[in-house]
Amino acid sequence: MSLGAKLVLESHRHLKWRAFDLIELVLMILCGILLFSFSATVVFDIVTRTIGHPWLWLQEVTQTLFIYAIFIGAAVATRRNDHLVLTAVTDALHGTPRILAEVMIRLVVISVSICLVYFGYINFLRGFDSFRMPSMTPIASLYGVIPISGFFIGLFSIEQLVNGLVNGFDHPQEVVDLESTAEIDTLAHSNKILT
Amino acid sequence: MSNALILGLMTSLFLIFAYLGVPVAFSLLAGVFVGSMFTDVTFAALIQKMFDGVDSEALLAIPFFLLVGELMGSANVVGRITNLSLALVGHIRGGLAQVVTVFSMFFSEMSGSTSADVAVISRALGGPMKREGYDPAFTAAIIAAASTIAALVPPSITAVVYGAVGNVSIAGLFMAGVVPGFMIGIGLMLYCYFFGPAGLPRPRAALREVAGAFKGASLPLMIPFILLGGILTGWFTPTEAGVVAVVWILVVVIPTLNPAHMKMLPYDFCLAGLIFSLPLITIGAANVFGWMLAYLRGAMTIAAWITSVAGNDPILIMLMMVLLFTVVGDFIEPVPTIIIFMPLVNALTAAGGINPVHMGVVLIATLAFGLITPPYGLVLLMASKFIGVKFSQALRAALPIYLVFLGTITFTIMFPKVVLWLPKHVIPESVGCFKNPSGPGYLCPP
Repeated sequence: MSLGAKLVLESHRHLKWRAFDLIELVLMILCGILLFSFSATVVFDIVTRTIGHPWLWLQEVTQTLFIYAIFIGAAVATRRNDHLVLTAVTDALHGTPRILAEVMIRLVVISVSICLVYFGYINFLRGFDSFRMPSMTPIASLYGVIPISGFFIGLFSIEQLVNGLVNGFDHPQEVVDLESTAEIDTLAHSNKILT
Repeated sequence: MSNALILGLMTSLFLIFAYLGVPVAFSLLAGVFVGSMFTDVTFAALIQKMFDGVDSEALLAIPFFLLVGELMGSANVVGRITNLSLALVGHIRGGLAQVVTVFSMFFSEMSGSTSADVAVISRALGGPMKREGYDPAFTAAIIAAASTIAALVPPSITAVVYGAVGNVSIAGLFMAGVVPGFMIGIGLMLYCYFFGPAGLPRPRAALREVAGAFKGASLPLMIPFILLGGILTGWFTPTEAGVVAVVWILVVVIPTLNPAHMKMLPYDFCLAGLIFSLPLITIGAANVFGWMLAYLRGAMTIAAWITSVAGNDPILIMLMMVLLFTVVGDFIEPVPTIIIFMPLVNALTAAGGINPVHMGVVLIATLAFGLITPPYGLVLLMASKFIGVKFSQALRAALPIYLVFLGTITFTIMFPKVVLWLPKHVIPESVGCFKNPSGPGYLCPP
C-alpha cells in the first residue's frame, strides 16, 4: 500500500466525499513535515549552542512550526474522527435518536469552528501590532493558523453532516482482532491521550 | 447571572456535549463560549487564551516523547523487551502476568504514554496470555493497571503537562514519580504472585539467557538513560532530551534492529504529527476553561471551602485533593483535569505549605488510578477492547488491584521525605533547595 493510500483513513467512508481525500492527504503530509521540521530545528538549536554559536532565531522557528502543527493536526483529525472523546454514547443509539445526536455533535463543532474562524481572524488582524523577538515578525504570523484550522474543522464537519444525513450515520461495529496490529494501532490512536 | 451559575452552566454544557460524543476540546470551548456570553469576556480573548495554552516551550516535549513511543513500536523492539522480561520474571508464579508488569516498567520509561503502553502490551502479550488460559478479564485488568505506570515514571507526559502548566520542575516530577511508579509495579507483581492465576510453570532462565536478553534489548534500553542522563546532568531540557532520544532511535536503533522499517519513517512522522496535536489542542481548550474558572473565582471558592475544612494541614489538604481528583478524574481525562484545576492546586499548595513536586506526584498518581476506575477508566476500557472482554468483567477483575493504587497514593501522601528523596539528592533545585551561600551543599526547605 502506498504512503498516500495509508495516510487517508478508510474508516467512516460513508461520511466522507472522495473529493476531500486529497485535502486529508495534504494535511497529513503537512503534519509530518511540520513535526520533522521542528524536530530538526531543536537538533540544530542543541548543536549550535554546543559549539558556542547559538542561532537565536531557531527557537522562534521551532515554536512557529509547533503551533502550526497543533492546529493543522486538529483540523485533519476532525475528518478522521481522531479527536479525543469521553465516550461514544451516540454509537449505541440507532434510528432517529442517533441522527439527532450526530447532528447535534456536528452543529456544536461547526459553531465552535465559526468562532475560531471569525474571532481567530480578529486576533490575526490585531497581531500585526505585536512583534516576536528577535526577528520582529508580527505575531499575526502565528495567529493566522487559527482561522485556517477553524475553516477546515468546519468544512469537514459539514462534510460529515451532509453525508450522514444522506447515507446515515450508523455503521457496523468494528470487531478487534487481537492479532491484528493495524486494528490495535487504529484503536490506540483514536484513544490517544496525554496520559 | 451569578458566577456560580455561569460556572455550573459551563460545566454542565461541557459534560453534556462531551458525553454526547463531541470531541473534548470542542466541548470545553462550546461550554466556555456559552458561559462567557453572561460575562464581559470577549470571544476573541478566549481564542487568545487557547493560543496561550499551547504556546509553551515545555509542551514541545510532548510530540518528541510520543514520537519516541511511536518509533519504538515500529522498531521491532517489543519482542526484545518481552524476551528480557520473560527471562527475568517468567519463572515466577503468575508467569506472563509478571512479565506484563515488568514489560510495562521497561516500556514506560521509553514511551511516557499509558495509551501507547496498553496498545503495545495488549498486542505483545494479550494473545500469549489467552493461549495459556488466563482469564481475559484478569488479562485486561493487569495490562491496564501495569500501563498506568507510564503516567508516573519518566518520561511521563502527564508530568510534562503538570510541570509546564503549574510551573513545577518537570525533572523533579520525573524523579519523584519513580518511587510510586516502582511501588505500583512491585505491588502488581506481589498481587499476581499471591492472588493471580498461576500460569504455566517455566524454568528459571540461565544467567547466559538473561545476559543474551539484555544484550538484545540493550539499544532500546539506552533511551531511558539518554532521557534521564541528559536531563539530570543539565545538558538538555526535557524537550531536548526527547529529541535526542528520537535521533538515537532514527540513527541507531531502527537501522540496527529493523532496517526494513526505514522506508516507513515518513508514515510514522505523519501519524505522530497528527497524534500529538490531539492532546495539545485539548490542552489549549482546557486552558480556556481553567482561565474562566479562575476569572469567575471558582478556583478560589473551592480552595476556600477546602481550607475551611482542612485548615492548613498538608495531609488533609492532599487527601481532599485526592478525593476531588478521583471524582473529577472519573469523568474527565487527566490532562484537562490538571489544566482546569491548576489555579486551585496552586492556591492549596501554597495554603498548606506543600512542596509543589510532592503535590504534583500525589495528584498524578491519583489521575493514573482514575484511568482504571469507572465510569471513565480509559485505559481499562482500551485494554478490555483489545483483549475482547466486557468492560464490566474487566472492572470486576480490577477491583482488588485498586488496593495497590490506594496503598501507593496513601504512602505518597504520608511519606513526602521518601518520595522527594530522589529529586532532593539528584536535582536539589527541583524541590526548592538552593546552594548554601556560606559553604558546600544545599539548603532545603523542611
